[in-house]
Amino acid sequence: MATDRQFHCSVITPEREVLSAEATSVVFPAQDGEVGVLVDRAPLLFALGIGVLRIDGEKGSQRFFIDGGFAQMLDNNLTILTSQALAPSEIKADKVRQLLSEAEAMSITDDASWIARDKAIRRAKEQLKLAEQVG
Amino acid sequence: MANKRQLVKRRKAVRNIRKITRTMQLIATARFQAMFKRVSASKPYSEKLAEMVNGLAGIDVDIEDSLLEAHSDAPRDATVVITSNRGLCGGYNANVMRTAIEHIDRTAGSGTPCDVQMVGKKGIQYFRFLKRAMTEISHLGDTPKFETVEPLANELIARFRRGEVTTVHVVFMRFHSMGRQRPDVIQLLPLAPEKKDAGAGPSSVGEGASAEAGATVQYDFSPEPGKLLEELLPATVRIRLFTCFLEAAVSEQIARMVAMKAATDAAGDMIKALTTQYNRARQTSITMELLDIIGGAAAVQ
Repeated sequence: MATDRQFHCSVITPEREVLSAEATSVVFPAQDGEVGVLVDRAPLLFALGIGVLRIDGEKGSQRFFIDGGFAQMLDNNLTILTSQALAPSEIKADKVRQLLSEAEAMSITDDASWIARDKAIRRAKEQLKLAEQVG
Repeated sequence: MANKRQLVKRRKAVRNIRKITRTMQLIATARFQAMFKRVSASKPYSEKLAEMVNGLAGIDVDIEDSLLEAHSDAPRDATVVITSNRGLCGGYNANVMRTAIEHIDRTAGSGTPCDVQMVGKKGIQYFRFLKRAMTEISHLGDTPKFETVEPLANELIARFRRGEVTTVHVVFMRFHSMGRQRPDVIQLLPLAPEKKDAGAGPSSVGEGASAEAGATVQYDFSPEPGKLLEELLPATVRIRLFTCFLEAAVSEQIARMVAMKAATDAAGDMIKALTTQYNRARQTSITMELLDIIGGAAAVQ
């Protein structure tokens, strides 16, 4: 998919702007699966799930673990808002493994706690997957 | 002689104190700059989020989200009060506390029970001293992080949805500019349109101009707009609470900077006064000795 046309992509968390760069293709995790965005994509407003964000652009391919949030594409500007965006190098595998075992030990009493446990497990597993792929 | 030595000692002590307060001022300045950077860094997120909410506002959605109206007939208020963990910042905490107590008493006076969630050691100490009821939150540290503020916001949202509280307020020191910080009370829930800042343009949830602007863009939505809004609104609440914490942290550092500057200046004045006193005492003792010698010499002749 080599196109010379690019669009702007920025990844923003409440604490800082993690990335602002030109990209040729972005794949982000929506709530029901991955969504790919190329240049001149029609405007979109998506809620994000937990997973890996992949940005292919001038600096090669970049990956981030993102934890929910929103994506907006408008006039070739893709904005990813997320509460957490971690580059693979920022993921501490030991800590995540500990979180995973904690998550697996969470007790399920009702729907809400079931969802919370499921989310915590997915959060940890996605991070581990990303760390292993790169590292 | 004794007097002279005492003055020297005091002057030395004041000098040392001035060194300490000056260092604290410098530290506060550095911390302020770091905090200010964080506030600026959080702006894009909240602005973008508001833009997305506006984008949805143009669409014909039944805004029946659970965060826009109270869920219980029995009014009950939850108030988050943000104070600092450390002192030596002038009137910072006192100002926040005064506004908080005013707000709490007014709410309680109108027949609404008020749960106080106190953030920061200073506020906790003060409320313990007054023997007022509160929930203590002291684990947040000096630099507010989103991941630590988020659970608090989630808890408030959950309590609001369950109808345990009908309103949520935040009392904190709002940062207007370098030279102006005022204690402020904002309503976090039910979610109200954000107050329009000067020049910020319309940022209200679903009114006139913004509705027109939003309607011109045909978005692809996932999930459907109503569901999306259900996700966007809690995110708005979370970022608003986080912004409150950031502004409070910036204001705290400014207050400390100002207080320490005043202390350093005051110490400087004191050193001057002490030096004058010391010189005068020295001159007096020299004169006395001279008089003694002259008197002795006259007696010998």
